[in-house]
Amino acid sequence: MEMDISGVSRTHVSILPAAEIKATLKPEAERPRCASTPCSPIRGTVAGYQILHMDSNYLVGFTTGEELLKLAHKWSEGAPEKSSVSESVSSPIQSPVPKSVDLGIHRSSRIFKGKNRYYQPYDIPAANGRRRRRMPSSSDTFLRSLAHGEPGPGRGLHAPLPLCLLKGKGAQSKSLDYLNLDKISIKESSDTEVLQYQLQHLTLRGERVFTRNKT
Amino acid sequence: MKVQQGCNSSDMGIPVTTEEELRRNTVITPEDVLGLQKITKNYLCSPEENVHMIDFTRFKIRDMETGTVLFEITKPPTPAGGKKHCDPNAGRFVRYQFTPAFLQLRQVGATVEFTVGDTPINNFRMIERHYFRDQLLKSFDFEFGFCMPSSKNTCEHIYEFPALSEEIMREMILHPYETQSDSFYFVDNKLVMHNKADYSYSGGP
Repeated sequence: MEMDISGVSRTHVSILPAAEIKATLKPEAERPRCASTPCSPIRGTVAGYQILHMDSNYLVGFTTGEELLKLAHKWSEGAPEKSSVSESVSSPIQSPVPKSVDLGIHRSSRIFKGKNRYYQPYDIPAANGRRRRRMPSSSDTFLRSLAHGEPGPGRGLHAPLPLCLLKGKGAQSKSLDYLNLDKISIKESSDTEVLQYQLQHLTLRGERVFTRNKT
Repeated sequence: MKVQQGCNSSDMGIPVTTEEELRRNTVITPEDVLGLQKITKNYLCSPEENVHMIDFTRFKIRDMETGTVLFEITKPPTPAGGKKHCDPNAGRFVRYQFTPAFLQLRQVGATVEFTVGDTPINNFRMIERHYFRDQLLKSFDFEFGFCMPSSKNTCEHIYEFPALSEEIMREMILHPYETQSDSFYFVDNKLVMHNKADYSYSGGP
């Protein structure tokens, strides 16, 4: 294991304020892409962090717990009817929302909005004369389904919130308030574990119902 | 007393522990977390237990084979009054969306820059455990060593990724965010910070 530790006195770090960074950010110019073309670096800000570089050959999204909670709150505020939500809660264990979706990922959707091309990430640029082995083809179909997934802001994709966010110490009631639990008729046992499981999937099922209603 | 046979040689002979057991401890040690068999449901310490004011300000990962920088992020130092979070744990969780290509990498260097408070830090250590569902993929154990008071430090650790079967990789790709990690940070063998992350490997444009 290689390590290089340098301890230096704390010095002023010149970091642009987030607002200034956003003002200077511009969408990357369109470039023809092929498997051997290095990806344009993705830059952006999320929850106070400044993303300096993101190689989309390997990483296409990053987000924080803060962003996830904000987005979950936003979606719950957009829930039109409580009855729709209670319907979905009454049968919590039924088919879970397909996990082929991602919640609140900073996919540079703010930067790359409108760019809807499918990029094949598997053919990794050759290194040292060797081309790396491609991923199993079983993922191809899956990834194509992702590429043509649900439309909407940031693709409107959802996945269960991690349990550690739902169980925020000292702030659990606040983080769960937006779910309006007092207005939801939960017919199942009040067992904590079951409730937590239900809550995890609550937003997802509600969104599915809303999508159906819109169509 | 149950002892792990383990998939990692570093865990051989370590007593198995559970999250519930560790919660009853006043102090959690590196050996305690090395015995965990699955991802914790909740944090094992509160943000306030970071009495050494360790603050990560920059993070970068690169492929060691090619030197390609995969990701780099920075954040302004935490203000003196502390950050206000809608949830105290929101700042301790991150989510990554990797592409399947990431699973082909063998060595990834992670450079972390951090500042510390006005007391010296002895024996700063991180143990990071990665799980797919309830299967431990690998446990990483990195030493940061000694940190001077009020210093900014930079350290790179090399992650040697375990060899994964095609089947497991396929499952990891097909089930986003079921790959999760716990990062435990210790000073003088006492847990002071606990961060979490989950991962998707089905990333596309």
